[in-house]
Amino acid sequence: MIYKIIQKRRIFLSLSTAAVALSVLALIFWGLNFGIDFTGGSSLEVQFAGYHPSLSEITTSLQSANLHNLVIQPTSDSYILKFKETSEDVHQAAVKDLQTLATAHTGASFKELQFDAVGPSIGQELKSKSFNATAIAFVMIIIFVSFAFRRVSKPVASWKYGVAAIIALIHDILFTLGVFSVLGHFYGVEINTPFIAAVLTVLGYSVSDTIIVFDRIRENLPKSQEDFENTVNRSVNQTLTRSINTSFSAILALLAVLFFGGSTIKDFALALIVGIFVGTYSSIFVASPVLVVWDKIVRGQKNG
Amino acid sequence: MTLAQKFQKLSARGKSWWILGVIIVFVIIVALTVGGNYYNNFSKTLAAKTNDIVMLPLVTPIPFSLGLDLQGGTHLVYSANVAGIPAADQASALASARDVIERRVNAFGVSEPVVEVNKSVSGEYQIVADLAGVKDVSQAIKIIGETPTLEFKELSPAAAAVSAKLNASSTATTSVDLSAAQNWQDTELTGKYLQRATLQFNQSDGSPEVSLQFNSEGGKLFEDITGRNIGKPVAIFLDGYPISTPTVNDKITGGNAVISGHFSVDEAKMLVTRLNSGALPVPITLISQKTVESSLGSQSISDSLRAILIGLLLVSLFMILYYRLPGLLSVLSLLVYGLTVLAIFKALPLWLALILIIIMIALIFYTFNELKIFNGTLAVLFAIIGILLFIYATQAITLSLSGIAGFILSIGMAVDANILIFARTREELKSGKSVSQAVDAGFKRAWPSIRDGNVSTIITCLILIFFGTSTVQGFGTTLFIGIAVSLFSAIVVTHTLFVIILGDWLEKRPWLLGARRPKTEEVSK
Repeated sequence: MIYKIIQKRRIFLSLSTAAVALSVLALIFWGLNFGIDFTGGSSLEVQFAGYHPSLSEITTSLQSANLHNLVIQPTSDSYILKFKETSEDVHQAAVKDLQTLATAHTGASFKELQFDAVGPSIGQELKSKSFNATAIAFVMIIIFVSFAFRRVSKPVASWKYGVAAIIALIHDILFTLGVFSVLGHFYGVEINTPFIAAVLTVLGYSVSDTIIVFDRIRENLPKSQEDFENTVNRSVNQTLTRSINTSFSAILALLAVLFFGGSTIKDFALALIVGIFVGTYSSIFVASPVLVVWDKIVRGQKNG
Repeated sequence: MTLAQKFQKLSARGKSWWILGVIIVFVIIVALTVGGNYYNNFSKTLAAKTNDIVMLPLVTPIPFSLGLDLQGGTHLVYSANVAGIPAADQASALASARDVIERRVNAFGVSEPVVEVNKSVSGEYQIVADLAGVKDVSQAIKIIGETPTLEFKELSPAAAAVSAKLNASSTATTSVDLSAAQNWQDTELTGKYLQRATLQFNQSDGSPEVSLQFNSEGGKLFEDITGRNIGKPVAIFLDGYPISTPTVNDKITGGNAVISGHFSVDEAKMLVTRLNSGALPVPITLISQKTVESSLGSQSISDSLRAILIGLLLVSLFMILYYRLPGLLSVLSLLVYGLTVLAIFKALPLWLALILIIIMIALIFYTFNELKIFNGTLAVLFAIIGILLFIYATQAITLSLSGIAGFILSIGMAVDANILIFARTREELKSGKSVSQAVDAGFKRAWPSIRDGNVSTIITCLILIFFGTSTVQGFGTTLFIGIAVSLFSAIVVTHTLFVIILGDWLEKRPWLLGARRPKTEEVSK
């Protein structure tokens, strides 16, 4: 059974174009919801036992600490407080106020679970480091793909495989960022350091997935009786099960992290799941069709 | 006949039994490395139950190195202001600041604090302190932050001019406020040059004084300063405030200075202790901290363990259901994979790391040789991977939440090589090859894809490791180790098991491989 994937490329490419366009729009209008790792600020997680203060009670108790941009997010068994100040004095003052709030109620106890403070200069540094890492990864991957496909030149030049892989890659990154832009806008999901690791991993995964499809095209081309379009389609079909199964097992492992790995790395796992899903999609429905479209355009020019 | 010749004469299956033997030895070593304390407990119980008849040798358990987010603790980032220090001396000043902070935290009772000096992208120096398991973080911060900066200052030119006028005419009405910091300017002499501070008592009135002994360099600086300020006041600043502003009577040689202030005995004692435990040569400010309470850390450990087990179980189930017998083999090699990765996470002694890596690389080379796809490029590729793995094996990889997520992701990705091989094997079976031919061809033809796919992921890992922040590095490192070991488990372990179970019985039961053969093929057989 051979699916007509390349023949139906118009549908898939339109779908992808639409998804990427929506992602870009989301990024333009909503942007990304950067967390304190990037913006600087503090995040304090506290737990009350034997007494559950309302959000307004917490806010009132913290008035003397004079916290700016205070946001309180209740979790299942704790509260996460975010504010702009990062100094240890303000932190201690806030903890003291919350402690007082707890001791005012008999039988209540209070515990500080977690405190993160990131100075604004660190956030700036993280931004430039992340940008550098992503840029370097892009360059290295283009070099690697061109190198891996250096012996394939007919009918499509080797560097075009590299470009097609990069197009698929940009598609995956934009889509993942788009999803997180939407999640950030509607559900307050934040972008912090682990997200960068996730994006870079998706970058590597997407390319390795695309390379495996291209490897099959490279293997099939010399002995193929069919035209380029059909050879590509056959190669995509041959690698289809593998692509889906590998992503499925990786996503199974990540689902275990998402549901059982604790709240701290939920967003990280989610970013990887979205990225790996779209990475697999693009290796099948974007990268190879782009190769064929490119070939057709070049041929069209030659014939015309 | 030498052993090697004998080995060459064996059939492919016969050889594989030997290789399996080596793999089993390997697995026993990694299992003992990973679960050393479980094994020790077991052998102790066994000895107790059998009245010391069965005495198994004990192993030295090696602990995992847990990150602050897993065991609780605090990660502090200080920005170090080196503006006042000549460029040539900055590195040594930062290093001694680092040492001072380490001494202070050690005194506070933190086991194995990690204190490092980093340079940020923008060129700013940072001192990072990781204090694991510290109970009272705010106290620790206070102790680090309170470390005194000791500075010697002389009057600024403006203030000196006023002061000179003051001395010249007795009618002047203005005076110089010696307690105002703006009237003072820095000299080169700082706490960096301090050798020792001692408590002594003034010989005339018995009031407590602090005596400072400089090193030779500091002594010379002090001589210069006192020499050019005869008749003028100089100031000793502690933590940015003048604590003593004596007037210099004469040039002082020998590198000795005395702070005589209005101290009580206790104050003087405290000052001596603070000065001796280290005057910070560089002023620091806390710019970032990450603190995790230890109960949250243990919660994260149990969450992560559960996620690892469930992830392993889900992936195993899927592999067995979809790929049947090969799926089962891949689950076995996945277990070898998991144990090996966990062993490499620990800080192994050199000999153990060497043994493990040599076995792995030798078996990989052997398998490629058997498959007749061994060449120079491969040798170089695996030599590089082997060296990196060896380096990581001898170091403790600090396991953080993101590192563990990298490990779990690599479980899912480790089966990729297996999936590629099985998919190829199935195709070859469908084309009518015998099972053993199909397995051989499956491995051979899947290899280029495995290689290219993994190399691109390894490139990403290396970028994560070299250019990322510590969280990102941890993730990149675990993912790299995972991918490197997955090549070993898929190529060596799965292949060996495959060759061993091959045989006539399997030829008759292709459904075990999940393959339906074309009807015509079966007739022709």
